[in-house]
Amino acid sequence: MNQLPTAVPIGVIPTPLQTRLEDLSTAKSWTNWAGFISPLVLDTVEFEYFAIRNQSTLFDISPMHKYRVTGPDALRVVNRMVTRDVSRMRDNRVGYALWCDEEGMVIDDGTVFRFSDSDFRICCQETMHSWILDTAWGFDVDIVDESHQVAGVSLQGPTTFSLLSDAGLTVAGALKPFDMAEVEPGLWISRTGFTGDLGYELWTSWDKIAELWDRLWAAGDHWGLRAIGYEALNICRIEAGFIAAGIDFQPVHTAMRLHRGRSPIELGFEKLVHFDKGHFNGRRALLKQKDAGPRHVLRKIDLAGFKPADGALLYYKKKKEVGHVTSGVWSPTTKRNIALAEFKAPYGYSITDDLWAEIYVFEEGVWDKRLVPVTFEDKPFFINDRSRATPPRPF
Amino acid sequence: MTVSATYDVLVIGGGHNGLTAAATLAKKGKSVCVIEKSEQLGGMAREVAHLLYNLHPKVVRELGLKGLADGKPLATVSLVEDGKHVEIAGDTVRFADGTTHPDAVAYVELTSRLKKFAALLGQLSSHSPPKLDGGLTSLATLGELAGLAKLGLNLKLLGKKDMNEFLRVILTNAYDLVLDEMPDGPLAGALCADAVRGNYVGPRSPGTVFNLMYRLGQGGEAYLPKGGMEAVVCAFESAARTAGAEVRTGQGVKRILVEDDKATGVELEDGTHIAARTVMASTGPQAVMQMAGVEHFDVEAARRIRNTRCKGTVAKLSLVLKDAPSIVGLSREQMRSRFLIAPSAAVVERSFNPAKYNELPAAPVIEAVILTPSDPDLAAKGQHILSLNVQHIPHTPEGGWDEAKRQQVIDTVVAQLEVYMPGVSASIERADLLTPADIEELTGAPGGHWHHAEMGVDQILTVRPVNGLAHYGFAVQGLYLCGASAHPGGDVTGLPGRNSAIQLLKDGVLS
Repeated sequence: MNQLPTAVPIGVIPTPLQTRLEDLSTAKSWTNWAGFISPLVLDTVEFEYFAIRNQSTLFDISPMHKYRVTGPDALRVVNRMVTRDVSRMRDNRVGYALWCDEEGMVIDDGTVFRFSDSDFRICCQETMHSWILDTAWGFDVDIVDESHQVAGVSLQGPTTFSLLSDAGLTVAGALKPFDMAEVEPGLWISRTGFTGDLGYELWTSWDKIAELWDRLWAAGDHWGLRAIGYEALNICRIEAGFIAAGIDFQPVHTAMRLHRGRSPIELGFEKLVHFDKGHFNGRRALLKQKDAGPRHVLRKIDLAGFKPADGALLYYKKKKEVGHVTSGVWSPTTKRNIALAEFKAPYGYSITDDLWAEIYVFEEGVWDKRLVPVTFEDKPFFINDRSRATPPRPF
Repeated sequence: MTVSATYDVLVIGGGHNGLTAAATLAKKGKSVCVIEKSEQLGGMAREVAHLLYNLHPKVVRELGLKGLADGKPLATVSLVEDGKHVEIAGDTVRFADGTTHPDAVAYVELTSRLKKFAALLGQLSSHSPPKLDGGLTSLATLGELAGLAKLGLNLKLLGKKDMNEFLRVILTNAYDLVLDEMPDGPLAGALCADAVRGNYVGPRSPGTVFNLMYRLGQGGEAYLPKGGMEAVVCAFESAARTAGAEVRTGQGVKRILVEDDKATGVELEDGTHIAARTVMASTGPQAVMQMAGVEHFDVEAARRIRNTRCKGTVAKLSLVLKDAPSIVGLSREQMRSRFLIAPSAAVVERSFNPAKYNELPAAPVIEAVILTPSDPDLAAKGQHILSLNVQHIPHTPEGGWDEAKRQQVIDTVVAQLEVYMPGVSASIERADLLTPADIEELTGAPGGHWHHAEMGVDQILTVRPVNGLAHYGFAVQGLYLCGASAHPGGDVTGLPGRNSAIQLLKDGVLS
């Protein structure tokens, strides 16, 4: 009898947690995240959102791309790539970082895990293997694409530390925000996340992640643990003021049109551009932009009313179009109509008065248009000291 | 160990371009020091070139180079086995026996058209290539646009027919262009040989019409200066020294020193540090990047630099003969010509084929000139020197160079010569071969390439040597590229060195 060849999947593929998620999903709402099947919603957005802010939640972050940079020149290579100075990071720390092309336009953002000055992991959304290889040319390092070797889950919410303690991982209590530690052989925990809340990311090998999931799940019932999808997480990340690649900026390697890239300065991260660390990619272009001023500026804004402003156009003096909302949502926790918005400089930069958002609403068969005033917010919309307390308070 | 003097400019590499840059800056009162790794100045101009053509009149004038191309240019004789050689002397084309060549008129029409186009492009050669990245609102960009507009206007002024022709042929291949005008044979072969010389192409390769125009930039006439290319190098050296530049030979540069994103000097191979406010380098772009440190270059720039095309394809063979060579069918006077063994365009194309597979050619295209009649001092009494550029020799043949392969090249060339110069092999007292690998070793030219970087549409003008670094400034402030890999390119023109020096002054990095 002829044997059928094993089919190679050409569409989205499952992560090692798909079987668990499949069982939990009543919404059956899936998306393609970096080539993997990923839940948008498992149950309902509302339940999942409130679980993040009040209980514990698990989100499968295995689709993230992970690259290991090791060797004598690892520090130099990572510093050549990202705009922040990773030599200032201590070992076993995680740092948010952006990296740019030669024109200073952001290629992607992500987290840099510093194990030592000769061992780093870069974790990001976009595929970056060939870029890192190019960056590393001429340096003494090894680059390994760990994307399909290292899997991870994000455990977020105010009860997560209590949950970890019940799961036998009390050691996580010593972790300050952005600390990481190998808490058991092959199991790393970093106090990081995309929610602005207390939370952890747990990393282990691809074949051990389901076991880890089960272990957390077994400890989670008492702490209100829910599995969540991207939509609930997205509300939280806007509340925390975090930007998302492909939404709040276009990763420049995927942007085909001229001038669609944005610099870290334009995205509001000038503090993470360390010009004094020596050359890094895009440094000269960014220095020029620092002198000339940004072309655009991404700001956190607060809008009147309660209708989410996603995609709304922004006007100066109700007439001149000066930008648009990149991410807009009603924030259930802060009870504010919040958004991230991109303005054409100098609007939102030196001109911050008399700015308006045009929000379209569709109500029972009728389209309506509302012009609502825009005010600026410099801090994250959601701030709670539980996210920083160390050790975390038991719930 | 630091030498106390701080120069305004250090020039790495004492080839003719390095010397031109040094002379240009020293004339402006800058303190300049040229550092050359080998004991002798001149680089490729001394070691590889045997004829002078394309030397730019602006460089001649500005450096006060006298008497280099004053004599009569050499005629070109395209050799054929049956003895019906074709002689080209300026616009006079005939058979070597003086009889009329049927394609003489077609040749003159074609080359005068190409020369006209070459002159048009030549406007761009003595300036930095146009730079439009400032945007249309920038004053600097408008200046660049004015230059381009002038080119556009001159293009228009050619008339519609010529303009269409220019745009039609500029990116095409020499083979089609030439064979549109004449049947294949030694005259077509000569044009095609000149269209591929020094580059990793055959006449059917796209862009070879541009290469031919480049060669015809100053009319295309080749000169054998009194004293040979050595005299040319000496003239450049003396221009630099007279202007006040210091010259150090026998000192290689290990590193270009960079502090705070600025070039601050060099470290010599013996560990000596020499401080300078700017550094110019006439070596290839990869070498400059590595001397300065790849960490100072953006990732994209480093990728482009390391991928520049620079496969050298010309070997230099120097034969010392005990008898005066003669060619059947040529007069004594005609022996003072530039000889081409390129009997047809098809042969030139086939000459390229083995090089693609890193194999040695069986019948390479050859340019030969007897140096001694014009300059008897070059050889011992009674001896004669036949200098040959052998096209389409791979940089590294399959399995690498060894004595046998070197001998194979010499034997192949001599066998070809024997056809036209019966008995020449018995007359050879010495044969000195420089393969592209030897040339790279000797001069530092990447890949042993004549032009440091292939002259192709992807590596000329605003993208020479690479996109983003075409304006001599080489990423780090105060670091400049001034060799053949910079605009406008190779040959002993002096232009890259001169233009780079002018750009350095214009950038105000010394003020």
